[in-house]
Amino acid sequence: MEEAQRQYLEKGITVTYEYLAPEAASAEDQKERLSQVKKDDYDIIGVDVADEEIISPVLDEMADEGFRVMTFSSSDAAEGCKRIAYVGNTHNYQDGADLTEALCEKLGYRGRVAILVGSKGAPCHEDRAKGAKDTIAGYPDMEIAAVEYDMDSIENAYNLTLKILEENPGLDGIICCNMSNPVGAARAITEKGSDTVIVGMDHDREALHYLNDGVIYCLGVQDCFSIGFDTLQVAVKIADGNPPGDLYPEKMNEITTIIYQEDAESMLELLYGDIL
Amino acid sequence: MTNEKDSINKRFIYTAIIGSTLVMAVLAFSMLWASRKTVSTTDEAVSAVSSFYLEAMADQRARTINNLINNNFEHMDKALTVIRDEDIESQEELRNVIGKIKTVLSLNRFALVDEDNTVYTQYTTYSGGSRYDFLSSDKLSERVISTAYMYGSSKQLCLATPADGLEILGKPFKACFVQIDIKDISDLLLLEDQGNTYFALYTKNGGNLSDSGLGLVGAGENILEDSKDYISRDSWEKLSTDFEEGKEGSLTLVSDGIQETICYAPVPDTGWMMAVLIRESVIHEQFLEISDNNRRVSRMLIIVTLLSMVIFAAVLLLQSRRISRMRLETERENSRMFRSMANTDSMTGVRNKHAYSEYEKHLNNMIRSGELRNRLAVLVCDVNGLKHVNDTKGHAAGDQLIKDACSLICEHFVHGTVFRIGGDEFAVILQEKGYDTLDETLSSINREIEDNISRDRVVISIGHSVLNEEDRQIHDVFERADNLMYQRKKELKAMGAKTRE
Repeated sequence: MEEAQRQYLEKGITVTYEYLAPEAASAEDQKERLSQVKKDDYDIIGVDVADEEIISPVLDEMADEGFRVMTFSSSDAAEGCKRIAYVGNTHNYQDGADLTEALCEKLGYRGRVAILVGSKGAPCHEDRAKGAKDTIAGYPDMEIAAVEYDMDSIENAYNLTLKILEENPGLDGIICCNMSNPVGAARAITEKGSDTVIVGMDHDREALHYLNDGVIYCLGVQDCFSIGFDTLQVAVKIADGNPPGDLYPEKMNEITTIIYQEDAESMLELLYGDIL
Repeated sequence: MTNEKDSINKRFIYTAIIGSTLVMAVLAFSMLWASRKTVSTTDEAVSAVSSFYLEAMADQRARTINNLINNNFEHMDKALTVIRDEDIESQEELRNVIGKIKTVLSLNRFALVDEDNTVYTQYTTYSGGSRYDFLSSDKLSERVISTAYMYGSSKQLCLATPADGLEILGKPFKACFVQIDIKDISDLLLLEDQGNTYFALYTKNGGNLSDSGLGLVGAGENILEDSKDYISRDSWEKLSTDFEEGKEGSLTLVSDGIQETICYAPVPDTGWMMAVLIRESVIHEQFLEISDNNRRVSRMLIIVTLLSMVIFAAVLLLQSRRISRMRLETERENSRMFRSMANTDSMTGVRNKHAYSEYEKHLNNMIRSGELRNRLAVLVCDVNGLKHVNDTKGHAAGDQLIKDACSLICEHFVHGTVFRIGGDEFAVILQEKGYDTLDETLSSINREIEDNISRDRVVISIGHSVLNEEDRQIHDVFERADNLMYQRKKELKAMGAKTRE
């Protein structure tokens, strides 16, 4: 977003934005914030939907009241929501399926796995979990031992993983559907000295280190730079009164790349300047 | 004697040649040695100068960044003072104040951070707790210098300073910070450097911050990774340790004959390393150009010296031959002189009796061989009254009489050969033109002689005869001339001339 803002400034266009992320994902918190936002004079409101069932009606209501609302990042609102556009990951289901396929291949299509979903109702987390479940279902020798919601919290993910390992000795794999849970799972696995294979999402610094160490098998990395950059670009076009169409699509898809141990070093250097 | 002289001459020439050759060899060798020594000394100087220069450059650039950091901290302190003095009543006003501070104090991306880690910039408000390490702590107690990596974008130097007691819109603020694009820092250094050197900024783990290349270390590449192929394991470990511990140092990379020396120095407080490189080949080229010129001059000097020596040797040789020739000539001259002295009459300067005898022999040989048959006349001249003069006027006067007589004979018989063959007796041999003009010359001299009788001057009795077919030797002709000389003496006596009687 900063880069897009900078490029606009170079052209003499000042874009002012507020980007306020909560400490932890919460649909209720988001609902409250949206009601606050309505009091201010914003040209465009972008929402990273925490729970499509709770937030989508709020967005519809805001649209009906004349607010220009768009969604971005990993979770779009529910189908039919009146938000103007979405920029971000449109293939969460596929991401979940791809990660799980990688895990199944690693396990030789035989074994018991657990799924850490993330936030209940968060479309991106739920879609990934669904993709994972459907993939597992396709292999007769694969079995889902547990499905848990960590609410996108590292601490929760850590505790849940310990619990799953305790309840499922010899667990073969864990599928992590958001940014926090691969870290929590990896911490627990390391602590227990387990050889359970972890696959997960996103590019948390600690997760990348676990990837490099071989604790995490692979990570699905979303193109966050493009998501931010394109979100601001689309937001400006919406603020100018342009509807989706030739200037921007109603859904702008950003890619996800699955990276493995050999990619960890370069990713760490690229994102965090870490040289191992 | 001649052999000994030749031997001495030869020895002289050989000595000159060998000596010259030795001198030339020593001279050439010393010049070559001096030339090579100059090149090697230059090489050492290049290494020393370039390393020294690079170390200084690295230090200077590190100091430039340090100054930039200090200036920014000072400006942030001023900014906080300004903000404290402002009566900010809305977020809009806060943004305007931040914008004003950015402009007035030239602070890039100046931002304030509240206690909830929300960041306020001129155009943006965002939650930054997870983004910057320095924002993760609840309270900022001291200045923090850190490096931020903007995913997909630039790398930034972040400078944060505590904002103790600052409260805006009823909210406590914990810090303010600036972000300086490392590319801008590179541009600043480039401006200062005017493109004379290559430089790059690295993290302690070798990551490239400035996205600039450093010779064999590619643009944006990790120096620790890239240098592995060009340096020994020990050098690489030293480099890694120096970077890790933030120590100054240098390394030399060699690839495909290209040698590059990189000097690095820590940038204080940042955890960065400033590395500077000048391709040694660049300095080398300049020094080599000088060396080449020196070498060319040396070669020219050698060639000129050799040529000079050759010319000198040639001149010496020619001179020596000339001296030899002159000596030979002198010898010959001396010999001629001695021979001449043996054949010359010391009183009159004309040929003497001995010369006459030699000449007579020579002519006799010619007569015998048939080469000489005629056209030769012999004149016998006797000076009258010599005894009388000696007796009455002394021998000096007598000697003068003889000289006068000789002069008279020589003046008239210009084309003849005059000999003094006795005390008062001369012989003249006439050939060619002298022979052809005999009669008139004889008449002329006799007339003068006859005139001299009355004037008491020199009187000479001259008898002459010419070579006949029958003559077997010159003496035959001489005898006839001698007889006729006596007859003439009588004639002159009759005319009043004094005689011996």
